[in-house]
Amino acid sequence: MTTTTTFRLYLLFSFFVLFAQWSPVLSDLLISKLDRKVDLTSQVVRITATLKLENPGNDQISEVLLPFPDHQAKDLAFLVATTSEGKGKTKTSSSSLPIKVVNPEGLPPSLTWYSVTLLKELGKGQSLTLEVRTAFTHALRPFPEKITQADIQLLVFQESAYYLSPYAVNVQSLSVKLPEPKVESYTKLENTKFSGSEIKYGPYENLPPFSYSPIAVHFVSNKPFAVAQELVREIEISHWGNVQITEHYNLVNAGATSIGEFSRLEYQARPHLRGASSFRHLVAKLPPRAHSIYYRDEIGNISTSNIWGDSSKTLLEIEPRYPMFGGWRTSFTIGYGLPLKDYLFRAEGKRFLNISFGCPMDEVVVDNLVVKVILPEGSKDISVSVPFSVKESRETKFSHLDMIGRPVVALEKTNAVPEHNQYFQVYYRFSNLSLLREPMMLISGFFFLFVACIVYMHADLTISKSSPSYLAKLQWDEVQSALQQIQSIMNHCLGIHDKLEASLRDLSRTGDVQACKAARKSADNMLKELSKDMKPLLSFLQSSPLAVSSYSKVEELVAKEKELQEKLIVKHTTVTDSYEKKSGGRDIENRIAPIQQKITALRQEVDDLLEVIDEI
Amino acid sequence: MVESAKHISSPVPITWYPTLAVFMLAIGLIVTASFFIYEATSPRKYRSLAKELTTGAVASVFLGFGSLFLLLASGVYV
Repeated sequence: MTTTTTFRLYLLFSFFVLFAQWSPVLSDLLISKLDRKVDLTSQVVRITATLKLENPGNDQISEVLLPFPDHQAKDLAFLVATTSEGKGKTKTSSSSLPIKVVNPEGLPPSLTWYSVTLLKELGKGQSLTLEVRTAFTHALRPFPEKITQADIQLLVFQESAYYLSPYAVNVQSLSVKLPEPKVESYTKLENTKFSGSEIKYGPYENLPPFSYSPIAVHFVSNKPFAVAQELVREIEISHWGNVQITEHYNLVNAGATSIGEFSRLEYQARPHLRGASSFRHLVAKLPPRAHSIYYRDEIGNISTSNIWGDSSKTLLEIEPRYPMFGGWRTSFTIGYGLPLKDYLFRAEGKRFLNISFGCPMDEVVVDNLVVKVILPEGSKDISVSVPFSVKESRETKFSHLDMIGRPVVALEKTNAVPEHNQYFQVYYRFSNLSLLREPMMLISGFFFLFVACIVYMHADLTISKSSPSYLAKLQWDEVQSALQQIQSIMNHCLGIHDKLEASLRDLSRTGDVQACKAARKSADNMLKELSKDMKPLLSFLQSSPLAVSSYSKVEELVAKEKELQEKLIVKHTTVTDSYEKKSGGRDIENRIAPIQQKITALRQEVDDLLEVIDEI
Repeated sequence: MVESAKHISSPVPITWYPTLAVFMLAIGLIVTASFFIYEATSPRKYRSLAKELTTGAVASVFLGFGSLFLLLASGVYV
């Protein structure tokens, strides 16, 4: 122990002795029995104090004051008080009692005062057991502050052997639990006992208020001192079925700083002796059904990770790129997806996210924890409910397919310990129609593409409207459209031919000559009209200089079609006449056989010509 | 409040996303193909704007939802 530390402790001590004179100011609450357990097995100092309170006075008491010296108060990360009733197995604990910071008048300002409000007022002669659990970060100081690779890590812990309280304490004791049964030194007072890995102070009896007796324990601890100086957790909600969590760590080993050179060979050969104070890996306890887990940093994926799990949890073991010695830093990102229905709920017209707040790694202390909840675009009426005090702010984030940005709730917490890994809720309103924003964006994007194509195809982008090539192109377009029309008329004609044939087949089946004649009449009319339509197109093609080659084909086609039409009409007339004269079937067949042959040949030729024109 | 709350899940079960992506994109691409065939083959004079727009709209609806489901299936939760 350095002389400065001792001197400081003396100062503190003398300071607290002075407090005794303030005691009459406070209510006459009495602590009849007090037990304190200090857990030093990790980097977080956890102190559990069990106070048996008694009210010997006449006044009703509803508040209990808990003072912390300022140097402790700044490290105080977590404070919770519960009352318990009954004893042994029937003991029941209440939920945590409301605690607030107070500034009682006439009390020394170098103390930070917390006031616990009791659920039931404590009457005269009544007693109550109060359990106060606290967690302190950075309360353990490495001493020596710098060690080599081969050294073990030693830590100093300072406390008072007497409970600092504005109330008189009848009987009290303190036990300090160490990670290993090895101590360098510890303050010896009366009634001090060291056995195994535990140091016991007390019992001490009948101490006045503000009794103080500093103790220091200098002990061996090779527990990991993983401190995340900054941890940004992004929780992104997608109503399409996923809660994406991304955690950016900025990790440092806050234990004794490593000096001298680092030998990888020594470390590899005897990691427990040469590198006892370092840590190699961390285990993150992720929720069950976590999927798409990744672990990376600026360079890229870090392959030294392992994952296993069961129905209640998923464990992710990550190993940084190098063993973490004292003072060494690393930064990395882990990310995972969670199924939406496990975390998002609907109640009273609002939706809310119910998810845990803190870092998923046990024994990692976070100096500055920022939890960002990214809500979907279009969320309104956002409110947050966190079981402890946090700094809240709002932001906007642009992500995939966003127009106005997504609302972000940023929650900031300093000194976060695993005890803060509690569930918190973010309430918001969201219309299901807003869910269609993203598909609508994609759809409109594609639609604009099609519209652009249509505009391009319709627009005439020629600069010189009088150039010969442009005029030729225009003419060619017209020729093409005329050809297409001729084609469609021809196809129509062929359809009518088929109809005539069909009417003949009907005739042979039913013998209904009148129906057949009617069919013939309508076909004649239609063919006439079609040939009328054909005339202007033919004359256009004849006059067009570009259509010289195709015109001959078209002419041929028209001639062949005409011939085909004539033959067909002859056939039709012959058959109907024969039916009227009631000739025999064989006789009719003999008569039309030569015509039929010609028809088949002509039809073939017409089809071939149509194909040729189609290729133009 | 948490006890009385109802779970919220995605409008479409997430296991359907890959199938939906494949089918909607396939249909979308077929309609797109027919759109471009129509654009390229029919002469400018005889093209109907309504037909072009409806084909384009149908194709973009299928392509839009298809690409959304493709994004979701590949893990990009929009």
